[in-house]
Amino acid sequence: MKWIKENSLSLAFLVMFLLALAGQAISGTLYFNDQQRVLGEPTVSVWQYVASSEFAVNVAENWQSEYLQFFLYIMFTIWLVQKGSTESKALDDAGAESDAQQQIGPHAKATSPAWARTGGLRLWLFSNSLGLVMGVIFALSWLAQSVAGQAAYNSERLGDLRDPVSWGAYVTSPEFWNRSLQNWQSELLAVLSMVVLSIYLRQRGSPESKPVGAPHAATGVES
Amino acid sequence: MRILLIVPALATALALAGCAVDTAAPARAAERFHAALAAGQDDAACGMLAPKTAGKLPHPGQTCAQALHELKLGAGGAVTAVSVWGEDAQVRLSGDTLFLHRFQNGWRVRAAGCEPVRDLPYECEVED
Repeated sequence: MKWIKENSLSLAFLVMFLLALAGQAISGTLYFNDQQRVLGEPTVSVWQYVASSEFAVNVAENWQSEYLQFFLYIMFTIWLVQKGSTESKALDDAGAESDAQQQIGPHAKATSPAWARTGGLRLWLFSNSLGLVMGVIFALSWLAQSVAGQAAYNSERLGDLRDPVSWGAYVTSPEFWNRSLQNWQSELLAVLSMVVLSIYLRQRGSPESKPVGAPHAATGVES
Repeated sequence: MRILLIVPALATALALAGCAVDTAAPARAAERFHAALAAGQDDAACGMLAPKTAGKLPHPGQTCAQALHELKLGAGGAVTAVSVWGEDAQVRLSGDTLFLHRFQNGWRVRAAGCEPVRDLPYECEVED
């Protein structure tokens, strides 16, 4: 029970993620089969739909935009600040900060992760591991979107008696960029909202908010 | 770490799926369709059409075979290229371009006698 309590945030989001993904698979199958019946074509099972390029592109296009959002957020907040926002660090701390502030190398503590006490490539990798992993997942998700998207797009084009397109042509096509940008704009708006609204609004008890009584101008303050 | 493995796995699965596409079956279906036409076996050729295409082809009072015979589609020739995406395929022969769809009982011709139109769908003598 203690383990569940200590990991309740991760567990809650994991369960919600799996339920939402299953819901997407089921509702996607029902929607796809509805269209199949209109066309007089055979319906598919949930497993067949989950293995289709249509499902893959829909999943990947949302994943890439979420990971892009967090990647940009992690990287931009190193150097860019927002006065009054809980999402920003203190105005004077912009930049990669000193080794002492980051508790690395000779400034590492007994409880610091092993790679924080090293130097060279290992320290560089560990120092940038969060941004790197988010960036790599973004790039791979976007690649997966392009591959699955090309398959779904070409299937649709053949159905319309049109030539299929190459991967190069697909990733420069309006279809690919429309799918990408419609997700990016919403993610960027959500980040902007969080940065700005956290200056003036409060959520008592949430670490994403500053304390209710903290001044609007206080920056880098979390409850 | 598990989530780190999902995306590469997805990309790999997609890439492998792309490599494992069977292009031989739609190519054979297209060749058989044109072979039947060339041999004057219009009934057999009609049997290779997708149901919607076969239903749309004849004018009132005509059979599918009669309508197909009247169209006098040119010779198909050798297969020059095959594209398969999902349940749909395009087979280019030296003398024709065909569009096929995979049904539960195999590949069927959706459109034949097709000519490209720039930025628009092909114009086909036979289509659904």
